[in-house]
Amino acid sequence: MSQARTIPEPEVLESSPRFDLLRVPVVGRFLRWRHARTVLQIPFLVVGAVMILHGLLGPSLAPKNLATVLTWLHFRGVLALTLFAAGNFFCLACPFMLVRNAARKLFRPRWNWPRALRNKWLSAGLFVLILFIYELDDLWASPWLTAWLIIAYFGAILIVDGLFKHASFCKFVCPLGQFNFAASTLSPLEVAVRDQQICTTCDTKDCIRGRRKPGSELVILERGCELALFQPRKVGNMDCTFCLDCVHACPHDNVSIVTRIPASELITDPMRSGIGFFSRRKDVTALVIVFTFGALLNAFGMVSPVYVLERWLAQLLHVTHEAPVLAAIFGFFLIVEPIVLLGVAAWITQKLKGTRRALIPSMVRYSYSIVPLGFGMWLAHYGFHFLTGLFTIIPVSESAASSLGLWFGHPHWLWVGVPMRFVQPVQLGFLILGFLGSLLVARRMADEDCPEHPMRVFGPWAAVSLMIWLAAVWLIFQPMEMRATTLMSS
Amino acid sequence: MVACSRSAAKSSVSVTDKEVGPNPARVGPMTVSFHLTEASKPVSGAEVSLEGDMTHAGMTPVFAEAHEVAPGQYRGNLTLNMPGDWVLLLHVTLPDGRKLEDQIDIRGVGSS
Repeated sequence: MSQARTIPEPEVLESSPRFDLLRVPVVGRFLRWRHARTVLQIPFLVVGAVMILHGLLGPSLAPKNLATVLTWLHFRGVLALTLFAAGNFFCLACPFMLVRNAARKLFRPRWNWPRALRNKWLSAGLFVLILFIYELDDLWASPWLTAWLIIAYFGAILIVDGLFKHASFCKFVCPLGQFNFAASTLSPLEVAVRDQQICTTCDTKDCIRGRRKPGSELVILERGCELALFQPRKVGNMDCTFCLDCVHACPHDNVSIVTRIPASELITDPMRSGIGFFSRRKDVTALVIVFTFGALLNAFGMVSPVYVLERWLAQLLHVTHEAPVLAAIFGFFLIVEPIVLLGVAAWITQKLKGTRRALIPSMVRYSYSIVPLGFGMWLAHYGFHFLTGLFTIIPVSESAASSLGLWFGHPHWLWVGVPMRFVQPVQLGFLILGFLGSLLVARRMADEDCPEHPMRVFGPWAAVSLMIWLAAVWLIFQPMEMRATTLMSS
Repeated sequence: MVACSRSAAKSSVSVTDKEVGPNPARVGPMTVSFHLTEASKPVSGAEVSLEGDMTHAGMTPVFAEAHEVAPGQYRGNLTLNMPGDWVLLLHVTLPDGRKLEDQIDIRGVGSS
């Protein structure tokens, strides 16, 4: 008997027969086509090139430039809504990978990614760094810097994946990818096997090894998963870029994009291929903390109270530059506040359960319950900018075309978007969904963790969710004040 | 004056004495005044449209006309509808058809 027959089925929430996207007539056929990803990437690459050119050479005013309008209004909004409604399809269409794949035809990476960096610490740190630079340099107001951010991304992926094998950039570096991974734990679609029984009888494991040329093991015809996700043991969307390499490599046509219960992967704690146990991954916990509290912080940067806080901190610290003030705010909201909030909840949980387990494992385990709240906040924030600025792409495109002599009318500058009064209820809806999601995840965790007294365990984490939710609601009802630092004028 | 400014076009015509009121700027009605001069002489008869944009994309711009209130001196009224950083664009069409653009940055417009 081959070793393959001993593969245990991953522990997942059971669901009824699942919708299978790859069985849908036109869409499924397209996605199963081996060049589907390239076809999706090309338009994104073209748009990316246009954004870079317009950002560097076009108007310096953000509302009139494609780089800023597309990046900070449309891309972020469509990204969050796609993750919410479907799955991680933006990683599938990532134009950076198209450039990387082209570059890898010229030079092959030689090294494996350093073992010490095979975790989320670096990428979570880069996630924080991007949020920090966004506030410090007012990226949203600078087409030039936005263009350079895109260029830097292309450069970084070429360097990292030019030196290191597999998808090192996606798995261990890309901050945008980490955002997508965290958010896609709430997505209704996942890449998964159709029938576990077929996998148990599979001897070749092409989904991870790649499909090899018969008689020539070194020649790979179809790439296997570059992110080390072995389909039969893969659970959920964490680290999955929806690249569909596994779909194309599987000789049994047994991998597909199927529906599942959103957030189900946060509740269970099985051994996950390519990841391990969530409850033992402090780095993944750090990522979800940055994802959730970063959502609040990113929105906080755009409302009036932040300027009062900045001026107060500047006086307290006797500084006139924004960097140390922002560093203090980031340190408080991304380190101190989460540790205190989650630490106290974990401590109360232990007390109420009457156990003497260490605090950190409990913190790590239950921290995943706040991911829905974080995603709700990102949706509320990005959805706001997307909807209120929905039509701005039209006059900005007209203006860009006009500057090239391709458009002769007046740009419709008054075409902006959905009025704010209609968008605020949508924002509130996302926050309520996030809150309910966090409560459900915490409750299911408590049921598993302490079947005798689940409410004792659930209570502290429900309180954490409530506090975060109240903060989020307070934020979206604050008067928005989009401005750069006020320290100079203060 | 609460604003700083920079010329957006190379021209022998200058936009000078730019003033914005109230000071500090707040959400609501705002008056913009400036002088147009060429070789130290006032430029009369120009058509000037004002455009207010927030520095963040996706916000509704505001538009108005400025009128000549004295030889070479122009004034217009805009209504800023949101707190934050604004940029005022002055679109000037000179009597001889030449066009000129100028920009006034207004930082930290406060709530009304």
